[in-house]
Amino acid sequence: MKKTQVLSWLKPGIAILIPLFILLIPADRLLPGMSVIEHRVLALFVLAALFWILEPIPIFATSVLIIVLELVMVSDQGFILFRKSSGGEEWTNLLSYKEIMGTFASPIILLFLGGFFLAMAATKYRMDQSLAAVLLKPFGTRPKVLLLGLMGITALFSMFMSNTATTAMMLSILVPVLAVLDADDPGRVAFTLGIPFAANIGGIGTPIGTPPNAIALKYITGASSISFGKWMVFGVPYALILLLICWILLQYFFPFKTSSVPLHLKGRFLRTSKAYIVYVTFVLTLFLWLTDFWHGMNAYVVAMIPVAVFLSAGIISREDLKSISWDVLWLVAGGIALGLALEKSGLVTRMVGEIPFAGQAAFLVLFLAAFIGLLMANFMSHTGTANLLLPIVAALGTAGLDLGPVGGVTGLILGVTFSISVGMSLPISSPPNALAHAAGGIETRHMAKAGVLVGIIGLIGAMLLVLLLKSFNFFQP
Amino acid sequence: MEKIYILCVEDQREVLNAILQDLAPLEPAFFLEGCESAPEAEELIEEIDARGDFIGMLVCDHVMPEKSGVDFLIEVNRDQRFKNTRKLLLTGLATHQDTINAINNADIDRYIEKPWNAELLVRLVKQLLTGYILDQGLPYEKYLPYLDTQILFERIRK
Repeated sequence: MKKTQVLSWLKPGIAILIPLFILLIPADRLLPGMSVIEHRVLALFVLAALFWILEPIPIFATSVLIIVLELVMVSDQGFILFRKSSGGEEWTNLLSYKEIMGTFASPIILLFLGGFFLAMAATKYRMDQSLAAVLLKPFGTRPKVLLLGLMGITALFSMFMSNTATTAMMLSILVPVLAVLDADDPGRVAFTLGIPFAANIGGIGTPIGTPPNAIALKYITGASSISFGKWMVFGVPYALILLLICWILLQYFFPFKTSSVPLHLKGRFLRTSKAYIVYVTFVLTLFLWLTDFWHGMNAYVVAMIPVAVFLSAGIISREDLKSISWDVLWLVAGGIALGLALEKSGLVTRMVGEIPFAGQAAFLVLFLAAFIGLLMANFMSHTGTANLLLPIVAALGTAGLDLGPVGGVTGLILGVTFSISVGMSLPISSPPNALAHAAGGIETRHMAKAGVLVGIIGLIGAMLLVLLLKSFNFFQP
Repeated sequence: MEKIYILCVEDQREVLNAILQDLAPLEPAFFLEGCESAPEAEELIEEIDARGDFIGMLVCDHVMPEKSGVDFLIEVNRDQRFKNTRKLLLTGLATHQDTINAINNADIDRYIEKPWNAELLVRLVKQLLTGYILDQGLPYEKYLPYLDTQILFERIRK
């Protein structure tokens, strides 16, 4: 009891004391020429990193904590004593409090909100279940083929629904399948692992598939910004190929003993007028997302259309509204706020300038950044990893490095983002992994064996993809 | 961190011990308490509630001196503080009328007859606690190994 009590204080203790310690060290000792505001942002960054890694409080609470600390410590409406130097003059590089608060409603957040509305309406009107039943039918009863079907549908759904909700839904479909398999059939592991892996991989397919994608979009700005459709042009093929490799690996590691697995899914498309509104809105939104070059509305604007339609038609009720995953939205908002502070204070440029990059090959930089992303994502939340890593990666463009060979900073960001999403070798790597582990029948070593390999292949694949896109001049505006 | 309690109420000490022993596999995640009478349970419930902890589950016998199990559960059911608390009646001696009363007025979630099957008891308690945790809005992640995954998956996919 005593030991666990000490441990329960250890995490928050470390996470608070180290940033405080950083604040106490004179700024010049840390990084030459660093301003007072940069110094505080550095402490905040370290605090965010420690809180997201050690998780003494929920990760979304950390995000809100960062936003509030930024408002108090480095904003132009912060605590009066923090705003002025000892000489009574206001610091020059304070952040705009409106901009910090604005991160709660940043276009990225609203894009995700639109995605949530689509997913919520689809689930409420059982579109997901009916679609799964229809799509699974042609895959028959041979376990290998059925596994491919389950993984394919999981990946498809997780492109639009959250990876966690998709995994929960598909695992609940899987339970009757597992019941007919022998307890010692290794194929059980293949089925149970296939779902979370496919959900993580599928999330890569669209900008709304998983929060790291949205955070990546945030840093791919200006002339090189990527539209919804453009993302899918490379995201979907990458996800599909990785999914196939994953499918082959799982069969190889955990071969099926049975030759036939009967699966009867009940699912009929609802034919009420509200259900039709859901189907039409879903298809229309997707269509608009893919045709922005034609109608001129970007992905963020389009994302608001289903929100208005579903609320007006009474498809999403007041009670449904309360069940929106605000935790995910605020987790991302905190990341955006952290990135904002790093950039606007000028700290990130200074930090990146200190890393001895000069003369390094761009490819090596890409590999290292992607590898760090993959490594971190295996041990902490993917979104947390993206929140911490992507602002720094985005600033590498200013580090006097020639990033041309990897398609500039855009290529770098994409490579790292994809590598973060394939971090899935442990139950703690992602919520889908945790759910599959809880479903039983698989051990951590099973997950690690397949997960590490898929992660490494995903990392190599992401780098090849970036090089391929570069050779097609995809990153040219 | 808040604790979730499983409270077992049974007047015969050896039977109570048997119930507690059957539910022991859930101990790492949940806190097991046994009471030998309804008034004792009422007192304990107040104490747990006052500490800010949760009564996730009541496993209760019916025929007991002082106050019957069904009467006790009816009172708990009326209390808004325990509106999500799951109630399981574990008895061999309830009459037809008692049973009707338990369903209509105590709103019990499950009914198990004595002698009971330990595996069934644990399974039902897991199912009920999964619902409790989700209804109460508690973070389910740290209870994962002790929950009924089928119910969990069905609920969180929404």
